Amino acid sequence: MENNLPQLSVSDFVAITNQTLEYAFPTVSVVGEVTEFRVSQGKWVSFKLKDAGAVVGCFLVLSQLRMPIEDGMKLLVVANPRLNNKGFFSLNVRAMKPVGEGSIKKGFELLKAKLEAEGLFAPERKRRLPRVPQHVAVIASTESAGYVDFCKIINERWGGMTVDVAHTQVQGVPAPDQMIRAIRYFNSLEVLPEVLVLVRGGGSAEDLMAFNDEPLARAIAESRIPTLVGVGHEVDNTLADMVADVRAATPTNAAEILVPDRNEIIRAAHQQASSLGHQLVQSIDEYSARTKEQLEAAFRRIREKLDENFERLATLRLATAQLNPENVLKRGYALLRGGVKLGATVEIETLHEIATAEVKNVRSK
Amino acid sequence: MSEVSKGKTVQDKLSELSELVAWFQSAAFKLEDAFDKFKQAEALAEEIEKDLTKLKNDIKVVKKKFDTED
Repeated sequence: MENNLPQLSVSDFVAITNQTLEYAFPTVSVVGEVTEFRVSQGKWVSFKLKDAGAVVGCFLVLSQLRMPIEDGMKLLVVANPRLNNKGFFSLNVRAMKPVGEGSIKKGFELLKAKLEAEGLFAPERKRRLPRVPQHVAVIASTESAGYVDFCKIINERWGGMTVDVAHTQVQGVPAPDQMIRAIRYFNSLEVLPEVLVLVRGGGSAEDLMAFNDEPLARAIAESRIPTLVGVGHEVDNTLADMVADVRAATPTNAAEILVPDRNEIIRAAHQQASSLGHQLVQSIDEYSARTKEQLEAAFRRIREKLDENFERLATLRLATAQLNPENVLKRGYALLRGGVKLGATVEIETLHEIATAEVKNVRSK
Repeated sequence: MSEVSKGKTVQDKLSELSELVAWFQSAAFKLEDAFDKFKQAEALAEEIEKDLTKLKNDIKVVKKKFDTED
């Protein structure tokens, strides 16, 4: 036995070990495969991380679990190493994320199924965005290309809006909590913005993982302000997209959905006005045509009346002509004037001559 | 901006233009009034263009920090 070594109580040894660990490894980042995952008393989460050569226990409280995990997933945990009073060494997990395409996908599918079962993606939950919002809240990294694209497009398309921007990280471990705080901040305002927009440009599956965080997905779903999420590229699908009221394929597409295009509206306004001009001309044409028709109908009626009258006149003329004595003379008859008495003088008129004669004999017929 | 349009928003003007379009389609249409309504629609379209062209967004980054809880 070495006599010069200090004698420590078990408690002191555990405390000194923890101090040494805290000094040497205040925080460690460890990657391994999950095994023996369990939740105890609905409050404590424990699992082991293993690789081919070793195993280490991990511990956290259930409320810190930001995504469902299961045995076989590969995780990166950020943790404080600790020796507990019962002599068990473990990693007290502060943050964790799946590593590798398979585990990221597995984590995503597990959480998606969970949220879907709760109805968080249901179409009936989706709210409509106002056609022309006046006050908009945006959550983005103001240094990102996605944010720059978003601002460029909204400024090109529309104006007159108040846009309040919350600058947050949009990737990495702190990003989900920052975005959640920003969502809560905008939802706590006395006058709520009309739309809450979350944008982030494209990136790898790992870069976009912040948008597959369970508390963030729930915060978006609970937002009193209708949400519009445009994350990544067209092919990227995150849980934040799925719970949002409206999903945009990209930040640029989010801007296109958010506001109408002023040039289209200007064009439409001029088109409407000029269509009224066409309608006016058409109405005048129709009115003229109708008036012309009415005039023609009136003239036609007058002409008909005139024709009727001319016809009657012709008939009368004919009748009158038939009564003309000259026509009788033309047929060889003669006109006799004077009393038909014996010895009286009478005048006889033929077509061309007038003769005077004396009545020499009168007898009854 | 005409006297009639003073104080109206772009939305008000767009609604007014839609009402004029609807009037042309409605039973209330009268040729005697149509020319004035058409002139109003043209003036509104001009004003909408002017208003929309000059409108700028007011984009502000809020001062609050979100990296830690309050």
